[in-house]
Amino acid sequence: MQDKLKSKADELVNRITFYLNGKLVTETIPAGLSTLDWLNQTKHMFGTKCSCNEGDCGACTVVLAYPRDGSIVYEAINSCLYPAAKLHGRHLITIEAVGEPDKLHPIQQALLEHHGTQCGYCTPGFVMSMFAMFATITHPDKETIFSALEGNLCRCTGYQSILEAAEEVSEGHTPQDIVPEWCRQVEEQLISFKEPAEMQVINTPSPRLVQRYLVPEDFNRLFDYFAMEPEAVFIAGGTDIMVQMNISRKAFPVLIDLSRIPHLQRLYLQKDGLHIGAGITYSQLLDSGIVKSDYPMLHHLISQIASQQIRNFGTLAGNIANASPIGDSLPALLAMDATLSLQSELEVRSIPLREFFLGYRQTALRKGEIIREVILPVMPAGAYLNCLKSAKRKSVDISAVITAIKVEASGGVISSAVLALGGVAATPVISKLFPGLVQGHETHNLDIQAIARVVAGEFIPISDVRGGAEYRSTLIAKHIEIYLEELKGGQA
Amino acid sequence: MKSTHHLSGKLHLTGRSHFIADEAPVAGMLHAKLLFSPIAHARIINLDISKALAYPGVHRVLGAKDIPGPNQIGHVIKDEPLFPAEIIMYAWQPLAMVLAEDEQAAEAAVKLITLEYEELPPILDEETADAAKEWYVPERSIESGDVDSIFASAPHIMEGKTKNAGQEHFYMEGQRCRAIPFEDSRLLLHCATQSTMEVQEVVSHLLGIPAHDIVVDVPRLGGAFGGKERAATIWACMAALGAFVCRKPVQVKLNRDEDMRATGKRHPFTSLWKVAYDNDGRILAYDIQLLANGGAYADLSVAILERAMFHAENTYHIPNARIRGRACRTNLPPNTAFRGFGAPQGIFVIESVIQQIAKELALDPIAIRMLNAYHNGDKTPYDQEIKECQISAIYDKLAEKAAYDKLKADVAQFNASHKNHKRGLGIMPVKFGISFTTALLNQGSALVWVYIDGSVSVSTGGVEMGQELSTKVAVVVSRVLGIRVEQIRVESSNTQRVGNASPTAASTGSDINGNAARIAAEKVREQLREPAAKLLEQNSGTAVSPEDLVFSEGKVYLLSNPQSSVSFQDLIGFAYVERVPLGAYGYYRTPDLWFNREIGKGRPFHYYVYGAALAEVELDCRMGEHTLKQLFIIHENGQSLHTEIDMGQVIGAAVQGYGWCTMEDLVWDDKGRYTSANPSTYKIPGIRDLPENFQVELLPSQSKEASVFGSKATGEPPLIYGLAVFFALQEAVREVKPDAVLSFPATPEALLLSLK
Repeated sequence: MQDKLKSKADELVNRITFYLNGKLVTETIPAGLSTLDWLNQTKHMFGTKCSCNEGDCGACTVVLAYPRDGSIVYEAINSCLYPAAKLHGRHLITIEAVGEPDKLHPIQQALLEHHGTQCGYCTPGFVMSMFAMFATITHPDKETIFSALEGNLCRCTGYQSILEAAEEVSEGHTPQDIVPEWCRQVEEQLISFKEPAEMQVINTPSPRLVQRYLVPEDFNRLFDYFAMEPEAVFIAGGTDIMVQMNISRKAFPVLIDLSRIPHLQRLYLQKDGLHIGAGITYSQLLDSGIVKSDYPMLHHLISQIASQQIRNFGTLAGNIANASPIGDSLPALLAMDATLSLQSELEVRSIPLREFFLGYRQTALRKGEIIREVILPVMPAGAYLNCLKSAKRKSVDISAVITAIKVEASGGVISSAVLALGGVAATPVISKLFPGLVQGHETHNLDIQAIARVVAGEFIPISDVRGGAEYRSTLIAKHIEIYLEELKGGQA
Repeated sequence: MKSTHHLSGKLHLTGRSHFIADEAPVAGMLHAKLLFSPIAHARIINLDISKALAYPGVHRVLGAKDIPGPNQIGHVIKDEPLFPAEIIMYAWQPLAMVLAEDEQAAEAAVKLITLEYEELPPILDEETADAAKEWYVPERSIESGDVDSIFASAPHIMEGKTKNAGQEHFYMEGQRCRAIPFEDSRLLLHCATQSTMEVQEVVSHLLGIPAHDIVVDVPRLGGAFGGKERAATIWACMAALGAFVCRKPVQVKLNRDEDMRATGKRHPFTSLWKVAYDNDGRILAYDIQLLANGGAYADLSVAILERAMFHAENTYHIPNARIRGRACRTNLPPNTAFRGFGAPQGIFVIESVIQQIAKELALDPIAIRMLNAYHNGDKTPYDQEIKECQISAIYDKLAEKAAYDKLKADVAQFNASHKNHKRGLGIMPVKFGISFTTALLNQGSALVWVYIDGSVSVSTGGVEMGQELSTKVAVVVSRVLGIRVEQIRVESSNTQRVGNASPTAASTGSDINGNAARIAAEKVREQLREPAAKLLEQNSGTAVSPEDLVFSEGKVYLLSNPQSSVSFQDLIGFAYVERVPLGAYGYYRTPDLWFNREIGKGRPFHYYVYGAALAEVELDCRMGEHTLKQLFIIHENGQSLHTEIDMGQVIGAAVQGYGWCTMEDLVWDDKGRYTSANPSTYKIPGIRDLPENFQVELLPSQSKEASVFGSKATGEPPLIYGLAVFFALQEAVREVKPDAVLSFPATPEALLLSLK
């Protein structure tokens, strides 16, 4: 068995093929190398800047073009967190190809006219974020501009000039102005791209944190690889694993990438609810009509998770598997009573999300098991669902406390209630006391202050860099007050 | 006329601008990685590098004992080693440097260094340090009038303690230096510094070689904000040491988290104050003691404290003032220059006091500010006469722009009808003194060359770091020579072309370097008058008086006869043939500056910049979150050299100040280690933090004191406008809790807990 697998591994190639700024390239990429490091260190292309190396500043933003549902999407991503191995079959667009000093792109021209660059270090990232935005939406409004640029930090301009430039482009340009011909020419080739992604990326002579990066294209291969590399860690978007590598220098000797398995790329509605494949990104969820209409709370929440660049490759399943006590999506999923479909070589099993988190960053996932789907049950008509996130900054911040609530009432009497919380314990949790305090009571006749106080007392949060214990306890109570007052129909 | 674009704008926008160490490694280059101290205060027992040295790819491991000259990088006060030999003074202090062929090997080898130490108790806050008399220099003081007798008889007296937090610079480009050895044991340092002279000088002492053997070159910085004035020197010294010892190029380039943990920040201050005032709110006497948390080494802390003291009275004429300051040594990384350089800290206190007085007397906060405002002829506590005071005009303009009376009524009405949301208004006037308070730094040089094709090269000692100094210098030279900005190239700051350059700091960049460039360009122009007259005479056959020539629009001509002209380009070719010098050196020193520290009197500033801001916030009292609904700014800046650049400075600085006082939350643990050491935990403003309505107006003024072509500095003063938001939030909180005093920064946490 092992021998057979070994020989299979030997057949694998350690090259990937993709388009770089309009040109087809085949490259050998060291395992686990980020797209940013590949650009800077291997290609000596330094237009894409490294500033934080953890996806929080956007200086390294590049654009990816790739087919989805038959057409080409243009998405901004943080190249510092994007494993270069994932580029296979995609079009990587960097600042070097967008305009030239004597022939600026309309976005660049507008930024120049509005003095939207000062020190210049963040500038390529802003240009690329705007490129992806305008390639997708011709006339974005202010909110769309904010969403597209909230993941780009600028320490010089105070943003006003950048916003004005974006608004000018929004008013005055067509998609033809934005996406240059050399991008359009690659689109068809991207759609017809058939070369399999399977590869093995071998380590380079100097020590690296990853020695092998495997990209299976179906479940069979996935579990073959796992049998061959039983200590392997699974990676979907990689937005957390790459931070652990870049910042904490944590080693992941073998990574198995799940992002090319077609089964994991599905998002569909069934009788039992919405099935979200493990490879579905936050952006795909935001774009989904079903999510918008049937799960508006989830839609609203996801718009507040991370930045556009992260949402473009981060996944909901990754947020769950990562099992952080402050995972932004987790309280909402708990409140909605999500179920996970887990897949191993031998079986597919279901587990309610509320039984999934066992301890600090510990889950019910068994060795060799992955999340296949997240299933959100159909939300009962008339149920009250809400989610509140408290953080230091309005956007692109991790919460100090995040909560979500689902309450059903009939005839004004609460029949069921769930309150889930993140940032108050070692795992995301469901309040044990909350249902008992409200069920059977009339929505307009709740002792809100007392309920809030009791539930806040249920948890003993810690103090850390994101907030003190007292703040967190207060937030629990305040969130509950807001929910229950809204439920009561009171005005803020 | 269309304004000049950012001189590097097209390069920045296409990713083609060059930043230090964002380039391919040069042949044989070694990468440096550092062992940082895990603890804030300790005695080193043993540092064993043997295993690291044996690691494949490692060339050297350098520490305190490998330094050829004195292990000293302190500049003004010599108290800072490059690597501590005995006592670790702050967490993340560099202890040793591994030089290896690639970063991975260097990093792996650093982990093999073993450090044995004896932990010592750290002092982390300024009050504890002050009680322990941990001062770099004795107390400083400035005094005017008779404070004590006023306090003995004043109708109202109030006392308090005000604290402000620090702030991380968060320049987008981290600290870095690439050192390249060249012929005859010399070193070329590509160094991300605001201060070429200091790097050259300190490296020279450290290595025991003359300054002329060290070349420092700075093409541009990816942001600095003061964080690369002094704090860049240590990394430059390391790269230089490595290159000197190994005779190979060496690159030191910090990761973001290393940068945020190991470098100093804006100074936290604790200030104890006492104020006497009358029934109208007129301040009769003010007594303040400022304590600055300077961190482990003196760095620029004493100068920063001094500037805080010079701004302790802000825009107010306080005839009886006693301003004392002590810069305290703690076990944090050495705190350093940050846009404002102490002034924001000093101003924050007096504005807090004014807010308290307004509240006690139930007076309008603008009215009370106007009542106490400076007028021409008044003298500051340090005896500088106020000559061109703009503050009253600015209040009028601000009140008009913001429709203040109506806004105030609207806010009151909103607050009366809302329980969970409260609005508040905050006012923030600024008077900011321009000049280095260390008078000797107020000098600068420039070199202008006109090449024979008529293109121009300008070098100054100024460092381009996003403030668009280069663009302003080009504008100045273009005006003097009457040529297009596109004909002018502003070069990197390089010690070979411009030596002994003061740091590009204290908002003086364009005043000093712009004036030096102006003087150099004027010399060139004067040198060109004779050949121009000669050429025009040849062309027209009539006599031309050189003094009457005009240099404009790429031509030289007589005002009386503009039709007969020679092009600048033709003139240059002719002048070269005529053997006329086509280059010149310009030197500028700011006139009439002095300050006597013994008596606390003098004229430390060339002029003042005035302005004011008004902020309106809406606070969600249940979440502690706020919306910045409006921010109005009126900023006086003389005859602007370039209004878009100045607007960019005002807006950028105000947003930075807003971040400082509301969301930028520096956190360290009990071992003195910063835990908010990356942008996932330390939040600077993002695009969504822009005020919903943001109105900024530059107020042009005719000032005799102003600098190059009547312009005034804009770099630092506008940061202080951001504090208007803090006071607006405090007012909103006081709608719920009238006696609340908001802690700094006003994070959602601080706001929510202040409402409890």
